[in-house]
Amino acid sequence: MLNAIRWAVFALAALAMNFPLIVTLVTSFKSAREISTNPGLWINAPTLENYATVLTVSDRLNIFLYLANSFAVAAMGTLLAVALALPAAYAIVRGRFGEKTLLPLIVNLRAVPLVIFAIPIYMMFQFLGLLDTRFGLGLVMTIVNIPLVLIILVNAISDVPFEIDEAAMIDGVSRTGILFKIVGPVCRPAIVTSMIFGFITAWNEFLFGLMLTTSKAVPVTVGASFFFAASGGGVQWGVAAAVMMVGALPPMLLGLFMYRKISGTMMAGAVKG
Amino acid sequence: MQTTHRLEWTLLATPLMAFLLVCLGFPAIVNLIYSVSDISFETLRSPELSGFGNFAAVLTDSGFWLANWFSLRFGLLTAILECLIGLGLAVFLAPLFKERSWPIAILMLPLMVAPALMGLMYRLVLHEFAGPVPHYLWAWFGNSPAFLGPNSAFWTLIVVETLQWTPFAFLLFHMAYQAIPEELREAASIDGATGFARFWRIELPLMLPTLAAALLIRFIDGFRVFDNVYVLTGSGAGGSTTSLSIYIYEAFFKQAAIGKAVAASVILFAASFAVLYGLNRLARRRRR
Amino acid sequence: MKPATRFTAALAGSVFAAGLWAGAANAEVTVLGWPGGPEETALRAAADAYNAKDDVSEENKVELLFFNRDGFWDKLQADLAAGSDAFDLNLLATYSIGRYAPFMEPVELSDGAQALYGDAVLSTMQFDGKQYGVPTDLSLHFMYYRKDLIDALMSDDDAKARYAEISKEHLGTALEPKNPDDWTWDDYAATALYFTKAVNPDSPTRYGTVLQMKNLLFNIMVWQSTARSYGGDWMDADGKITVDSEAFRKGLELYKTLYDAGATPRDSLSYEFAEANAAYAAGQVAAMVQWNAAAADLTDAEKSPAVGEVTATIAPPTGPEARATHIHGLGLGLNKSAENKEGAKAFLKWLSTEEAALIYARAGGAPALSAEAVSEVAEERPDLVQLGEYAGAYGYVMNGGASANALAIYELQAKEFTGYWSGQQDLDTALANVEKGMADLLK
Repeated sequence: MLNAIRWAVFALAALAMNFPLIVTLVTSFKSAREISTNPGLWINAPTLENYATVLTVSDRLNIFLYLANSFAVAAMGTLLAVALALPAAYAIVRGRFGEKTLLPLIVNLRAVPLVIFAIPIYMMFQFLGLLDTRFGLGLVMTIVNIPLVLIILVNAISDVPFEIDEAAMIDGVSRTGILFKIVGPVCRPAIVTSMIFGFITAWNEFLFGLMLTTSKAVPVTVGASFFFAASGGGVQWGVAAAVMMVGALPPMLLGLFMYRKISGTMMAGAVKG
Repeated sequence: MQTTHRLEWTLLATPLMAFLLVCLGFPAIVNLIYSVSDISFETLRSPELSGFGNFAAVLTDSGFWLANWFSLRFGLLTAILECLIGLGLAVFLAPLFKERSWPIAILMLPLMVAPALMGLMYRLVLHEFAGPVPHYLWAWFGNSPAFLGPNSAFWTLIVVETLQWTPFAFLLFHMAYQAIPEELREAASIDGATGFARFWRIELPLMLPTLAAALLIRFIDGFRVFDNVYVLTGSGAGGSTTSLSIYIYEAFFKQAAIGKAVAASVILFAASFAVLYGLNRLARRRRR
Repeated sequence: MKPATRFTAALAGSVFAAGLWAGAANAEVTVLGWPGGPEETALRAAADAYNAKDDVSEENKVELLFFNRDGFWDKLQADLAAGSDAFDLNLLATYSIGRYAPFMEPVELSDGAQALYGDAVLSTMQFDGKQYGVPTDLSLHFMYYRKDLIDALMSDDDAKARYAEISKEHLGTALEPKNPDDWTWDDYAATALYFTKAVNPDSPTRYGTVLQMKNLLFNIMVWQSTARSYGGDWMDADGKITVDSEAFRKGLELYKTLYDAGATPRDSLSYEFAEANAAYAAGQVAAMVQWNAAAADLTDAEKSPAVGEVTATIAPPTGPEARATHIHGLGLGLNKSAENKEGAKAFLKWLSTEEAALIYARAGGAPALSAEAVSEVAEERPDLVQLGEYAGAYGYVMNGGASANALAIYELQAKEFTGYWSGQQDLDTALANVEKGMADLLK
């Protein structure tokens, strides 16, 4: 009985939270004509036209290039952020290093609209030749991700019992060794969680993608609107919906895949107990 | 112990500090100079120092304070709603996730969509003639409210933000909930604590750090909201949905008031540092 | 490998497999155009024709670069201010020319350009008396209306009586339905009210009109022809700001009256181009003022089945002082930091010839050409005849509308006027705030 209620609550939450996605999916199969006459969730004459528009590669539009760009940039922005933040988080929690100033300073970066850095970073990148490169955009994504990753990792390491460290210290393992051999593996779910969030954040970033790229390193958030802008500032809703579905698919698959890994590791951990 | 290991700790934190120094050092210095300069797009390379006029201009601009007020309300409300719903779902639905992970994947989906595109889709979803929500409301009830009118826009934006980011809070709570050792729960059950009592006395206290982190992250994200609001209502009729990020963006690009935009950011940075610093001290005093 | 480690390795591998550095391309003459829509198609056709010419050398061939529309002007601002050389020629618009002119160089047009475009159109690309670009497309406003509904109204005596009643009640004078070409703003308002269910339960449409009232500079451009036709202007000849005037009040009150009476969709305060078109295309609106760019879709029975066959377009209504439509031009100008200035100048010069303009027009662009030039394409593009005619007869640019801070002024008006329409401040406050802000911006 209780489980039936649970399923009902789940269904309701899933429906409410995913409603715009459902509408998007439905819209992506409607023709422009049908969108203007039939706002409902039923499709009278399903069409793949919108997807054909999005997936067709032309000399100007190449969704696969944008996807590859986004993937490279988000992957770099995630891995580098975790690699930099993990040791720092360990030092902050166990060594109380910079707990008072460094941590709030970095967390603060998430609160400030990064648009104010757009011009100086633009000029710096121009000087270094990093404009319109994946590497350059990847660096910016790392900056964008560091605050969130750091909060999650600091939180996770705080939860690891101090006795584990002490036991290892007695065995003569160095701090760095403890971090990589003991604390790191214990925090793996948190690391993977921060990676998921970091990847999604970087994948969905728009402003720097817009400012710092023009053609070769354009990410999919920016590339998306190449497709659906109609004349005079209008929107081709069907194409917009299709490009959204295509753009959301990689992080979706990734999230699913990663999620299974986390639950896997956690269950394994629970058995070892 | 702390003094003897100081060097080791420093070494561990160095890569992060060095990276931020290299990538943000120059931009930060440039911005600090801009904030006390008479600056425009034409004089980016030759700013003229002009004192604290930009700061005065920001602090006396009622628009700045209204934007702060909007961001504060928006951040607090969405953070609380997202954490409450997320926590509720994570705990109440936990038995469903024991055997299978696909329901979690379904709840995670909204996170995968860029907020700007999400906002764009809501323009369609809520449109009186082309959107399904008003369509069904008209069909079933013969009427549909103004979702983005002057009085309702704020609440519609709250709902839009909450629906997209509740999964974020949910996921954090789910992790924390799963990490609670099974023995603790069993011990509590033996003591006769079940259901709500177990949650209140055993599980919730254990999840408090995560709750604090989730509230903090969601508050910060809600406070600096930009994309979806900007796409849906812009800065709003009469500037009524101007979040602080939108205020700074518009000052920067629309009014070309770079000095003012940067000064506003410096103020924001200083203020939020003060708040975080204070919270941190408070938390540590309580821990002692 | 542990699952998470394997995943990390996969991610890391893909970073390098995808390659972090992309090679630099060597463009000849790079042109940053207005993406999507007919402007892009037309520019492509023009560029192809230019590149096919024998006297254009390899290193001067034109390569097109298109970016996206969202944030286009903001990005262009950053590019130009930082001295980007990613493009030699870039897009310009009348309302933003003052902001970009410091980063651009004046250009020289072909000898026939004056005869081809006429002075009014050339001036949409001028700043401080210098020519900064070749005009390519012209934007202005049409009154879109439902012929079927208006015809029915005009031929029904009961309806006429009801119309008179409604106009008497809401506007103070009993009006008689008229042909849209003879409309004043009052006639438009009366028609909008008559076709509104909230006012007239028998109305065949839910709303009489759709107003775009989102806090957005483009919406002020759509609105301001009301004020203009009552004689309004940003400044008088001496540079005194004249926004706090009877003309502006009339125009602003017109929108307020229609919004408060429910003659426009209740969410109009968040409407812009796309929303207004969707409402009109749904067949639930009788008439609206909209950009000429919407004509192709709204008069096409395939794309807009509900209204395509019964939609007509005409110039916006008349006021006591004038019949007016806002105009602005899009065009291409020369980036100061361009790498291939000579090649870029040559292309611009060619683009301003009749040969190029006709290619551009035939490929779907919307250049405003003199009557003589447009007659060459009149058969394929009858709409261009109308465009040129309206631009010549009714087109205006507010005094100061091409100044360095024109964009910021539009933004300011958008904020204050939407504040008035939404009931957050009264008309006096809104106008006073605009005057004060404009005094700073026009200094």
